[in-house]
Amino acid sequence: MLEIVDFWKSFDGKPAIAGLSLDVRDNEYLTLLGPSGSGKSMLLRLIAGIERPDRGDIRLDGVSLLDQPTHARGIGFVLQNFALFPHMSVADNVAYGLRHRQIEPVTDESEVVKRVAAMLALVGLDGLEERMVGQISGGQRQRVALARTLVTEPKICLLDEPLGALDANLRARMTVELRQIRKALGVTFVHVTGNENEALAMGDRLVVLDQGKALQVDRPDVVYAKPAAEAVARFLNAFNLLNGRTEGERFVTGEISVALPENCSGADHYAIRYDQIAVHERGAAPAGRGDIEARYVTSEYLGSKFIYFFELAGGKMIEVEQHLSQHEPVRHRRGATYQLSWDLADVLLFDAEGRAIEALASSPARRAV
Amino acid sequence: MATVVDKSKADIDAPIAGEAWGQRNRHVLLLLPGVVWMLLFLVIPLLMMVYVSFWTQSTFAISPELTLKSWVTFFSSDTYFGALLTTLRIWLIVLALTFLIGYPVALFIGLFVENKTLQTILLVTCVIPFWTSFLIRVLAWRPMLGRQGAINLMLQNFGVIDEPIEMLLFTDVSVIIGMVQIYVVFMVGPIAFMLARIDNAIIEAARDLGASSWTIFRKIIFPLSLPGVVVGAIFVSVMVLGEFATSAALSGRKVNLLGNIIVTQVGSLKWAFAAVIGVILTVVMGLVITVLLRIVNIRREL
Repeated sequence: MLEIVDFWKSFDGKPAIAGLSLDVRDNEYLTLLGPSGSGKSMLLRLIAGIERPDRGDIRLDGVSLLDQPTHARGIGFVLQNFALFPHMSVADNVAYGLRHRQIEPVTDESEVVKRVAAMLALVGLDGLEERMVGQISGGQRQRVALARTLVTEPKICLLDEPLGALDANLRARMTVELRQIRKALGVTFVHVTGNENEALAMGDRLVVLDQGKALQVDRPDVVYAKPAAEAVARFLNAFNLLNGRTEGERFVTGEISVALPENCSGADHYAIRYDQIAVHERGAAPAGRGDIEARYVTSEYLGSKFIYFFELAGGKMIEVEQHLSQHEPVRHRRGATYQLSWDLADVLLFDAEGRAIEALASSPARRAV
Repeated sequence: MATVVDKSKADIDAPIAGEAWGQRNRHVLLLLPGVVWMLLFLVIPLLMMVYVSFWTQSTFAISPELTLKSWVTFFSSDTYFGALLTTLRIWLIVLALTFLIGYPVALFIGLFVENKTLQTILLVTCVIPFWTSFLIRVLAWRPMLGRQGAINLMLQNFGVIDEPIEMLLFTDVSVIIGMVQIYVVFMVGPIAFMLARIDNAIIEAARDLGASSWTIFRKIIFPLSLPGVVVGAIFVSVMVLGEFATSAALSGRKVNLLGNIIVTQVGSLKWAFAAVIGVILTVVMGLVITVLLRIVNIRREL
């Protein structure tokens, strides 16, 4: 529905968006994940038309939006920190776009009241119409901001870190509600976040941004299982990443080396997920798996899971995650050396440019085809 | 038995209670100097002024026998009641002009200048005229506005007018020009301050919702700057209503404001009559401030 074609935008001489192309589909929840400075907020501002790209085109249903001002694009923008009008009531905030827009304002006041009431009911704010926005809670303000944008019936709604200002409890609740509200209206949401858990939980599709480029666009479960780039694996905050080089059958990092999957070459980054590592006493690791010796440092208890921290010979920290539903909590001896092991089929490899090395880690059966 | 227990308990509690009183009522102690000051130098003098306005005034003496004579004189004399009307007229014109001139300046400084340092520099620039004495600032208008003044000479030399404009100096116009120049900065400051506090994201949000620049100004920017307008208006009103120096220097004694009458009456030791005018000025200012505060709830905004 919305096509972004080869966007370029420099900011203070540095490229904020560097050749980014993206397809936003009708009726989907698209999340954009990236660290700060990855250009994710800039991308939203370019889509909304607050900023103009140096190069590239943006098309909505095949029609270029490039020369259309923000309000003519049919794109709603829920700004970071909500940006509510502080001198107005909840109802007046939500009604603002209907009453005061230049294009087809709704002059029939009863119509305005009806649509505002319907929208407030949808976001769960009925009964708060007459409150001033200073008198409601953070979560309610978030809903007012959302309702204020959605009531103008945009084709696409952009959300800039919408859950960033909420506490953890509300965050979890709003995650579910945002998805439900979107489904009910059938509007496309483009949701920007720096939080990997939020990005994985929210989206129908996930875009991982870094340095103004889209590194990977795919379903969240696919991105999580098969990050397309070393940087994606890094942002997901779920992988132990070792940097080094391939020497014969081994991957060498610092003074230590680990086993590679069969028929691999050219790997510069070696990744293994936190929850795919097993801990054994020294020398007890089963054969045929990747293994490494590491010194136990400490652990962190997170309710449903334990995270154990190990240190490799070169000082690199390795995290091992064990869910208490599948493992009994284990007490390791601080400072003692253990052996960590993992299935070589779970290993992800990336080349010098950070690109995933495809098919090499796959099963022999697939290679035979 | 019970009484004995109570007494011992009271003895133990007493010193602790005293300390706690000091802790709990620290705000009372903090308020005390201010309250005493206001009582001595504001409340008592005000009551005294009301009291003196009812004293009997003879040509050379004043005696504390109560009478309404001074009040009757004020309201029955065209000169004095006229001064009240002149004061109100000039105040309204000056207030309107300081707002009309000051608001765009404040809008520029507070909203369009995004650099905070530059904002401060510009605001300080507005205050620079205050580095010279009040009297010099007022008197400097004379060579500007006079028959042979800079403005008349310039207009004549450019051929805009043939005869010098007489009405520039020693009229209402010169008094209004002088006052607007002096007091406009008190309007600019508070408004620029309120405008600078408006989050840019709010304006972006309004624009994204499709509002035009004029609608955004009317519905968002102006309402949010209103507390600044009210504070500025209070500053200007209080100072203009009590003015006497500008009109004395620039009107050639033709424009008599209430302030000027107080000065002459006090000069000729007519305390009772001066007190009457003092009371009337105070009431007018009180009304003006009440009305202005009705426009916006300052306590909620600041």
